[in-house]
Amino acid sequence: MLDQLGNGLLLGIIISVASVALSLLYGVTRIVNFAHGEIIALGAIATLFLSSPIDYRVLFLDKFSPLGLDFFLSCILAVIICGLFGGLLELILFRPLRKGNVGNIAVLVVTIGLSIFIRHLYLLFATGKVQNFPLELQRRQTYLFFDMTPRNLKVLIIGILVMILIGLLLTYTKLGKAMRAVRDSEELSSVSGINSDNIILITWISSSMLAGLAGVFQATINDVRWNMGFLILLLIFAGTVLGGIGTSFGAMVGGLIIGILVQVSVGLPFMEGHTEAKNAVALGIMIVILLFRPQGIFGQKERIS
Amino acid sequence: MNKTVLECNGIAAGYVKDLNILQGVDLVVKEKEIVSIIGPNGAGKSTLLKAIMGLINVSGGRFYINGIEKTNLATHKIVNEGIGYVPQVANVFPSLTIEENLEIGSWSLNKQQKESLKQIYDQFSLLKDRKKDKAGNLSGGQRQILALARALITKPTLLLLDEPSAGLSPVAINEVFSIINDINESGVSILLVEQNAKRALSFSDRGYVLDQGRNAYQGKGEDLLNDPRVIDLYLGKL
Ligand SMILES: Nc1ncnc2c1ncn2[C@@H]1O[C@H](COP(=O)(O)OP(=O)(O)OP(=O)(O)O)[C@@H](O)[C@H]1O
Ligand SMILES: [Mg+2]
Repeated sequence: MLDQLGNGLLLGIIISVASVALSLLYGVTRIVNFAHGEIIALGAIATLFLSSPIDYRVLFLDKFSPLGLDFFLSCILAVIICGLFGGLLELILFRPLRKGNVGNIAVLVVTIGLSIFIRHLYLLFATGKVQNFPLELQRRQTYLFFDMTPRNLKVLIIGILVMILIGLLLTYTKLGKAMRAVRDSEELSSVSGINSDNIILITWISSSMLAGLAGVFQATINDVRWNMGFLILLLIFAGTVLGGIGTSFGAMVGGLIIGILVQVSVGLPFMEGHTEAKNAVALGIMIVILLFRPQGIFGQKERIS
Repeated sequence: MNKTVLECNGIAAGYVKDLNILQGVDLVVKEKEIVSIIGPNGAGKSTLLKAIMGLINVSGGRFYINGIEKTNLATHKIVNEGIGYVPQVANVFPSLTIEENLEIGSWSLNKQQKESLKQIYDQFSLLKDRKKDKAGNLSGGQRQILALARALITKPTLLLLDEPSAGLSPVAINEVFSIINDINESGVSILLVEQNAKRALSFSDRGYVLDQGRNAYQGKGEDLLNDPRVIDLYLGKL
């Protein structure tokens, strides 16, 4: 079981980053974004496209050949592309829906449709088969008491640093305070002089950049697939709910717990040969925790008045 | 005669297209005045304040702030025109600390932010003592004080208050009204929406009675209090 701890931490950090992104967006805009997974996949697919060698056919259409850029640079560009994509979604889709007072449930259905649409675009134009980043194989090593490759250790460290950064940004900067203010009340924020449309746009961009980063992580550790975001979306929802919806810190911890539970459960005796079922244990535990703490681990009961 | 701070001229507005709640409301607030708006539940009192703040769709009429037309100004710019607003519900940011609430309130001030914060703390020592507390943990009366302070920090010339006494204990109501009085005496005009019509009218220079989205009556506070038609429509129910 313990030999899975390293893998658990890695999956945990991916889910954690993605959960923070999801919960940030939900908190500020009240949108439950089912297309979150597709932004994650975009991060991976963009990185694949930017970094694969030029003569390597990544995309099914012959017209596009990869750019063969430096890998690290590709990751950064991919994250930026995801941010721009999220910003574009807000500008051409979600802002008009908001201005038209379209209800939350209708918007939820829009994000489901968007998710299916984008996912199948990937299937059509990008990677219908499982592909890998152009990285050489590395040997696992033991760090403290868990095993992982040096590259995956880097993923873990970058993930942790990014989360600390997000925490600091939300807590101490003017922008972070404005985001939390809009999360509490858009109306009160705007009468205080905050242009809440701008704050929501910035939230879309940051949430999508984080999602893209999670996608880059996921593909670095595993591989690139057209439906990779969709496959972990449920775990991301689980992490967000477990930590407490709308609290970024909760999403961080919740995501980490879910990731570790999923991986560690593979090592349970009765799970032998049933790795396909590894999500069952984690999600079962999530349900049990919510029975006892409906607001999630770190969620606070709202005081209504 | 005092200068006019706010003038609403034939305001028609509502929450959804083609369904106006306000159907041509006129209202004037002059410098240093306390003006109250009373009327039955659902008369459109809160809606009028939201229309002034640009929070809802205004389909007819004009607003003038200090004599200049400002119809359809974006909400986040209205605070720069010297208008502060305390809504009826959700008047503080519950998950933010008291200090953060005030910082958000002073969003539009740049350099003077620190100075204004200090002045607010001098004025309301309660807020200073609990500045690291979450606003969501304050009592109703304390919240109302924070809400007033948040709106006051930009030094507005006109403060719109939507039922500041709602849900408060008698002691807290007295405290809130005495704070509003102090604010007014420092030169700020007040436009007050109140359930407690007697208290509001006796506290105000002038009053407007709204009914079903229209002006019903208007006049000096004490005249309205004694007007048999107003008593019939509204005060009689108390
Ligand atoms: N968010 C909203 N969406 C749609 N209609 C609304 C909304 N808020 C209020 N209304 C409607 O507008 C009308 C006027 O409501 P408003 O809140 O302005 O009344 P009010 O005079 O402030 O009443 P109260 O004394 O109860 O606060 C009511 O018919 C109400 O149903
Ligand atoms: Mg009201």
